[in-house]
Amino acid sequence: MVESALRPLPDPPPIPPGEHDAIRNLRASLEASIASKLTSGSELIRALARQRREEILPTTIEPLDALLGGGLSRGKMTEIAGRGTRFSIVIAALAAATSIGEAAALIDAGDCFDPQLAEAAGVDLQRLLWARPRTMKQMVTAAEMLGATGFQLVIVDMATRRPPGRRVPDAAWVRLARVAESHGATILVSAPYALTGTTSEAMILAYAAHARWLGRGNAPRVLAGIETRLKLEKHRRMRPGQSVSVFFRCEEAIRGGRESGVGSRIQNPNTSSPSASQLQGRDPLKAFSDSRLPTCDTRKAS
Amino acid sequence: MTRLACFYVPMFALAARLRSEPDLLHEAVGIVEGNGNNAHIVAATRRARQKGIHPGLSLTQARSLLPKLIARGRDAECERTAQEALLEVAESFSPRVEDAGEGVVFLDVMGMERHFVDAMSDVGRTLQSDISSSRTRESDLRTPEHLLARAAIRACEAVSLPARVGIAASKLAARVAAELPKSPNVIAPGEERTFLAPLPLTRLSPELEAAAMLQRFGLSSIGDLARLPESEIASRLGEIGRELHWAARGIDPRPLMPRAMPPEFREGMELEWPLVALEPFLFIANAALDRLAKRMEIQGFACKRLEFTLTLDPDGYDARGIDLPAPTRDVKTMLTLMRLDLEKTPPGAPVVGFSFVAHPDKPRRAQLSLFGPTAMSPEKLATTIAKLVALLGDGRVGMPMTVDGHLPERFAISDFDPPPPPDVRRKPSRAHGLLAVRTFRPPIAIEVTTRETADKETQIASIRTIANSLPPSTPHSTKRIEVGATIEIAGTVRICSGPWRVEEGWWSDRPDVREYWDVELERGGVYRLFRGVSEDWFVDARYEM
Repeated sequence: MVESALRPLPDPPPIPPGEHDAIRNLRASLEASIASKLTSGSELIRALARQRREEILPTTIEPLDALLGGGLSRGKMTEIAGRGTRFSIVIAALAAATSIGEAAALIDAGDCFDPQLAEAAGVDLQRLLWARPRTMKQMVTAAEMLGATGFQLVIVDMATRRPPGRRVPDAAWVRLARVAESHGATILVSAPYALTGTTSEAMILAYAAHARWLGRGNAPRVLAGIETRLKLEKHRRMRPGQSVSVFFRCEEAIRGGRESGVGSRIQNPNTSSPSASQLQGRDPLKAFSDSRLPTCDTRKAS
Repeated sequence: MTRLACFYVPMFALAARLRSEPDLLHEAVGIVEGNGNNAHIVAATRRARQKGIHPGLSLTQARSLLPKLIARGRDAECERTAQEALLEVAESFSPRVEDAGEGVVFLDVMGMERHFVDAMSDVGRTLQSDISSSRTRESDLRTPEHLLARAAIRACEAVSLPARVGIAASKLAARVAAELPKSPNVIAPGEERTFLAPLPLTRLSPELEAAAMLQRFGLSSIGDLARLPESEIASRLGEIGRELHWAARGIDPRPLMPRAMPPEFREGMELEWPLVALEPFLFIANAALDRLAKRMEIQGFACKRLEFTLTLDPDGYDARGIDLPAPTRDVKTMLTLMRLDLEKTPPGAPVVGFSFVAHPDKPRRAQLSLFGPTAMSPEKLATTIAKLVALLGDGRVGMPMTVDGHLPERFAISDFDPPPPPDVRRKPSRAHGLLAVRTFRPPIAIEVTTRETADKETQIASIRTIANSLPPSTPHSTKRIEVGATIEIAGTVRICSGPWRVEEGWWSDRPDVREYWDVELERGGVYRLFRGVSEDWFVDARYEM
């Protein structure tokens, strides 16, 4: 407790001169060295708010962050569309935001979120609000309300197909972008096809992914992970067209089939199919840790 | 020494009605008691009084004087809620409050004036400017008790009650001081007798006939009575005479009888005509909820549960309750929830009255940080969650939670109550690079074709969704949420991996044993399948592709 009390606070951000007459007069009456350090509470709060908006929320997936110029822009809307591993990116962004103590909201239109897997991926569930809308209209309305409430990260995720209900008008996305801007919220829209049009700051296209299996030929296999290619389709501050490959590991593969985030997977003694250890002829955990599969494999595609 | 304050609302029946219908404030309105030929005026607005309407007139007489007189019956519900509002204002000044009924409240303000000592200098400047514009008497600047009394008047005005305030050492003196037209009146300790002396005897106890008898003795003021010997008055008027004499001398032996804090807040109204449409009712309900929210704000509470009872025409009641996800005072949220509830199940008969009961709870509080991530306003968060629950339904918004067990579809959802953000911003932890799966809730039933390999191993050859079928042994889900009813999962399997056995509840009579497989289809897509105890096959997740 004492340590936390004595922990030094970071330096405040540079504060532009105040416009209030009283502060200006007070500064004028002081020495320059003292006047430069003088600020009012409202100026400090404005400067901190501006600093927060200029920041970037990294997804901690290095190739994706490199593609987006550091991560997801605060106060802006970013879109990921396509058939690739969008949901893994969503979970990584949630883990990044909640690990720094920010409140995040997941609007899960497909109702396919698995809390056990998310916890294993590093998401602090206590800081996550999970909303499960049934229609497109509910989905956009919920995003707008949560963005205006002060959630630092709001993720709208659609499953493989559109939720029932009529299409939302384009004006809804404009409104959502405005909410992000006025409240400094980071909004990430993940959908199988492009939805937000010109209102988003950046758009990433996730190409169809490829599964990678351990084991060859007729031997039993183990799913190692899925590789997908991400392409920067649009960005307001960066040149589009660049693409990267990202590899996401399967949790069961990481743990060698002995233990998984969803429960213990025990090899059936009655079946003749060998376990992963038999497959590789050694301890499964060691086998998969030595399998030279990178967490995030960055390879520039042409 | 005791110091008691009295809050008094003149023409309480009228004030309570105008509080519920503020549009009538500048109209000629008369409050009527009794039915038919017995209907008579008990109170009237200033505009009506200027036209000659006064208490005691029959409604017919009043109508002949002023044909456009708006007549309203006495509304017990309005008066009860107005009295509660007055008591709540008093409780914001003192913990010891007595309910004297009919717009009269006594409270013990001994020592409470010290809260206003520091404000003397600030408020004094304001009052000085008021004095210069002849709005305030100079005596108002004398003591902190005056400031307390003025603050009380302002607080009563905030709940739409035009109260007068008197402060004295006894209940009687405080009440007489409060009843005087110019308010506030603060009687200095020991000066009760001097204060009462010039006032007419009717001020002492208007309801007692003894006052009229004393007037026949030639006594006109309270001071005249106080000068007479107590024993002479007692011998002529008995015990009442003795009490009157004590009262005239400023002696009131009755102690303050504090009331217990009510566990709930009420607002209600009897309507003049039956309402059959929702919008007019919500219009009136909005005003009532607004009053309710203001009262809770005075006490520092927020509403955790809202109960409302509708009085139906010709008879019967419709009682409902709405549990709010988090304590809130947002009227719009409560009104939205009420609208949704009434639209879902209409009352089925015209509504002629309503009563709202708010169960209070402490609102959420949080300390905001300058250097850490911005914290959300608890009030705003509670309101948003309430709106989201109204929009999406129960159990569809909240904090996800894991549940002990091996079955992957297990999850729980609870109230979202995030811990406060850290004081200083941290760096995000490195991504685990984990592959996420999209879970199907409930699992989708499929048909599986198997084949045997050269090593006599069973492999999955192809899968196909069973049309319009739901799994018979869906363990923990009740309805299909995913658009899964139309999901078509079919194709030849390119690679399969498994089986991985999951067993749960082995100690019970019906253990859940499953064999899991990962399959990749030739046309694309990696799925997680399982075969249950009943030998039926299901797809429960898709590795995103």
